[in-house]
Amino acid sequence: MTTLVTPPTESEGTGEPRAMKKPRKVGRWILFGAMVIVAIVMLYPFWVMVITSLKSESQFLSGGGFSWLSWSSLTSVIPVGQEVLSSTILCSASIFIILCVGLPAGFAFSKLRFRSSTAVFLVIVSAMMVPLQAILMPEFVNVTKLHLTGGYTGAILVYAALGTPFSVFLFTTYFRGVPDELIEAGIVDGLGYFGAMWRLVLPIAVPAIATVTVLQFIQIWDDLLVGLLFIQNTSDRPITVGLAVLAAGRTTSIPGLMAGSIISALPAMLVYLGFQRYLVKGLTMGIDR
Amino acid sequence: MAEITFDGVTKIFGDDIRAVDDLSLHVADGEFMVLVGPSGCGKTTALRMLAGLEDITSGTLSIGGSVVNNVLPKDRDVAMVFQNYALYPHMTVAQNMGFALKVRGLSKAEVAKKVGEAAAILRLTDYLDRRPKALSGGQRQRVAMGRAIVRSPQAFLMDEPLSNLDAQLRVEMRLEIARIQRLLGVATVYVTHDQIEAMTMGDRVAVMRGGKLQQCDTPQDLYDHPRNEFVAGFMGSPPMNLLRGSLESNDSGLALVLGSQRLAVPSNYATSHQLPKVDGPGVVFGVRPEDIEVLEHSGSDSLSTKVERREALGAEILVHLALVDAVGNDAFVVNDSGAVVSRPTTLVAKMGPRSGVSVGDQLQVRLNPDHFHFFDTDSGLSLRRSS
Repeated sequence: MTTLVTPPTESEGTGEPRAMKKPRKVGRWILFGAMVIVAIVMLYPFWVMVITSLKSESQFLSGGGFSWLSWSSLTSVIPVGQEVLSSTILCSASIFIILCVGLPAGFAFSKLRFRSSTAVFLVIVSAMMVPLQAILMPEFVNVTKLHLTGGYTGAILVYAALGTPFSVFLFTTYFRGVPDELIEAGIVDGLGYFGAMWRLVLPIAVPAIATVTVLQFIQIWDDLLVGLLFIQNTSDRPITVGLAVLAAGRTTSIPGLMAGSIISALPAMLVYLGFQRYLVKGLTMGIDR
Repeated sequence: MAEITFDGVTKIFGDDIRAVDDLSLHVADGEFMVLVGPSGCGKTTALRMLAGLEDITSGTLSIGGSVVNNVLPKDRDVAMVFQNYALYPHMTVAQNMGFALKVRGLSKAEVAKKVGEAAAILRLTDYLDRRPKALSGGQRQRVAMGRAIVRSPQAFLMDEPLSNLDAQLRVEMRLEIARIQRLLGVATVYVTHDQIEAMTMGDRVAVMRGGKLQQCDTPQDLYDHPRNEFVAGFMGSPPMNLLRGSLESNDSGLALVLGSQRLAVPSNYATSHQLPKVDGPGVVFGVRPEDIEVLEHSGSDSLSTKVERREALGAEILVHLALVDAVGNDAFVVNDSGAVVSRPTTLVAKMGPRSGVSVGDQLQVRLNPDHFHFFDTDSGLSLRRSS
């Protein structure tokens, strides 16, 4: 008598062939190794910055030792508190204007039907492609004519003008993903378009708002050029300008400069880490649609 | 509560796309009106014009006797249930239901009272603190209903509210919506492409096609007396069988010629219908699948057919029957010039689940002579004289 027996396959019982598991595991380790190398390359300068800031001038030159001197004497070298406050004012005011313009503009471009809306949107978004350096001098001439180069105002307007196209683009993309019916439901429920944006769309646009805020914060906080050019009152200059002035001095204390750089870098890093969750969501929106 | 009147309402998108064309329709106070039709027939556009979400190109739209052509949606006092429910994702069920009342400035106590009442009707009391994403499809649908009924509006507008639900839930919610509508007695305009929903829910059903109203009638009248070929073919599942033939008169009376076969037509059709002249341009003949039965022997009121396909649905089977001529070949149905037309030459019959019919069987079928339908070959209009 002949009987037919089906031979057991490799995947039987496990649901996955054993041979395929090994390359996947090796691939993961290679990826992990590559990520570690990238992390070291990225973190090494920061590590050098921290270590150097914890030395005195002579310890830095000799290469050994530990001292809080550069931190304790930092405020006497540059007005760190005032400059951090200036940077905060510049960031807050610019981002406020960027959000105030970007949110309604994004809502209008995505949800309202009006003549030439696509053309206007493209013109605004194309401004994103113009580099800061290309328009810096015309901007400077305009702001000078308006006598706004002394304090914060000129720089805030320039930062707002530079950041608005990106925010319009991001909010438009985000709001396109919000169903029209949600807004129509609000309108039938008794809201106008502004009410629908304020009470229905804004609460669900937190990832987009966070994304714009974080990206603009990092850009404005870290910027040197606009602050250097448009803020001529020394008492109003931001931390990046303060550090640049310190670095350009005749006798530069490298440990002091590193301590100042850490203070300068820390807020942007904290804002990024705090909003990271929303940032990823905001930047990947639309991909999974 | 109020009545709704469309009077010659037209909506043109762009320069020449007529989404709704000269729609005249009256919805009585408390009536459940269903707008039904295939995709792109203009039913949703008509509903959106009623809600104020689309401008009206021409015509007059009235709610409660007042013309609302230029009235803002918020001032029309209508509530709408959307296809995807459009629940506010950042609000709880209670906040969703009470939102319109809050916008209208009602006190917190009043809002809570009305939301509580609506939640009790919809059996949502236990879910008031949940967010929409924590609800099932059926519960979300009920919240959308709740958001509408809590306002006690003049009219409910519903845009395919059951299309996102599975088949079983759809049947349950169909009954639920009909129950609530009858309980509240508010004029309702309900849009659907599902003719079963239309037949089971509506007091009256308005069938639309290409922006035009084809017929508005009670579900049974619509089924029994379709005004044209489109309505006959759209209403009913499976739809009415429509075959093109010609009439002839012989010694035994009037007969319909289908291919090489002849079907006796009772003489009363000559008076109840405006039939074309014998040997004239022909006629479109219609018969419902449930009006076809298998006979043991051939007769003047029967047709010879061959079983082409058999679909078992459990409670019944659908049998696709091809007409065959006297020598057993498949019959052609030809037009006036003798060319084969695209009209179906097969009949679909509903039969009992245990009728032992197999593919390839030759069957003699009788078409119920009390339920024949005749349509004009050119206009597609029913030839039945209005009683």
